[in-house]
Amino acid sequence: MADSPVKVNNPNNAPAGPSPEEQKKMEAAYSQMKRKMAISEMGKSIKHKIMVLSGKGGVGKSTVATGLALSLAQQGLKVGLLDIDITGPNVPKMMGLSGRRLNVESGRIHPAQGHLGVKVISMAFLLEDEDTPVVWRGPIKLGAIQQFIGDVEWGELDYLIIDFPPGTSDEPLTVTQNLPDIDGMVIVTTPQEVALLDSRKSITFANSLKVDVIGVIENMSGYTVRGKAPSGTEIELAAPGGKTIRVTSDGDGNWSGTLDIFKSGGGQKTAVEFGVPFLGKLPFDPGFVRGGDDGVHRIVSEPEGPSSQAFSEIVAKIQSKVESGSSSGGLEII
Amino acid sequence: MDLPELKRLERRDLDMLLSWSDGTEHKITYDDLRHACPCARCAPQRNDEESSKILRRTVENLPQEKPTVRPVGNYALAFEWKNGCSAGIHRFERIWRLGEKQDPDNGKAYVHGAW
Repeated sequence: MADSPVKVNNPNNAPAGPSPEEQKKMEAAYSQMKRKMAISEMGKSIKHKIMVLSGKGGVGKSTVATGLALSLAQQGLKVGLLDIDITGPNVPKMMGLSGRRLNVESGRIHPAQGHLGVKVISMAFLLEDEDTPVVWRGPIKLGAIQQFIGDVEWGELDYLIIDFPPGTSDEPLTVTQNLPDIDGMVIVTTPQEVALLDSRKSITFANSLKVDVIGVIENMSGYTVRGKAPSGTEIELAAPGGKTIRVTSDGDGNWSGTLDIFKSGGGQKTAVEFGVPFLGKLPFDPGFVRGGDDGVHRIVSEPEGPSSQAFSEIVAKIQSKVESGSSSGGLEII
Repeated sequence: MDLPELKRLERRDLDMLLSWSDGTEHKITYDDLRHACPCARCAPQRNDEESSKILRRTVENLPQEKPTVRPVGNYALAFEWKNGCSAGIHRFERIWRLGEKQDPDNGKAYVHGAW
């Protein structure tokens, strides 16, 4: 703690200064106070803070969080992406930042810069290698999250997107308790019933913490198959659930049909049921898988493609909601 | 009912005055507040009448002081005291019930591990 004002002062014949244990406690208290001040500053320097959650794993939450950050950055906004998934951090890989190390200066952590200038902080930056697991109990995770919130030099940001591990446990609870002025939560789900069941828990969790639910995104919603056939050809596609989809090729011989691999419409149904906005559907796009593996997100590799378009439409709804959101005026404590 | 928003909290020597968005005003003594601490150490003591009385006597014997009040997210307040327990996170629903002179635990016994 080089910049701590707390010094041991115990020369010969002088009154005894603090013991090493007391010194340690004082330094910890000083460090905690500095962190609290930094966290309260974040309320001013970061305009909007959005949490991205899902009840269930494997619904593409990190892909969505990364996509939201990149889509906002496409507009020229200053964006940060905080990967709070301590035990399974994979945002750096999707942002082409694998193997990066964090830069620490004067006790402040400086984020790495990914595609489109998005600033990224992730536990992955602290791991020796990708195969090293993080085996931490709750209180240690809590300390790491507080550091990621309070000790990072984000600078001025328009948006901070926070990606969480699945579920409603320590991580989102710690962030909602520590980060001031959170705009709200975006809940990511896939259309099938199991994912929806868990998404409902996420919405209830948000309500319980008095955090606004910005809306529900249905990911992996429909896979569009495309092909060519002589103009006017009728094509039958065997769709999931024993259904048959009939499509006809157009004048140029192009045809397409959308297969609802994980069903469809569940996200919207859940949003309606809980009275929260439905932000939109993201198509099942194998390009996300390739892009994630290669470190080039679909929005970067194909900025005009259908997936980028779907993200832009969702982001527009999020912006409209959070930028028009009225502040409650706060609580006066005297 | 939808809980009104807490707009103002005035700390006085022995109690605090609370003003809510629907115009309701509450006065809660620090002794009542500290006896209602929802932390894992204090809360189970209210499960039993005798231990609840002991907890009450303990908080009443603490030196009188004004707490530091810290908002916890959008849903709760934490009260930090120089003496005694500061661990509890008081949800606004609990604070409202205390103001209304109702059981802050809403009749539910505390179970360790339950949030």
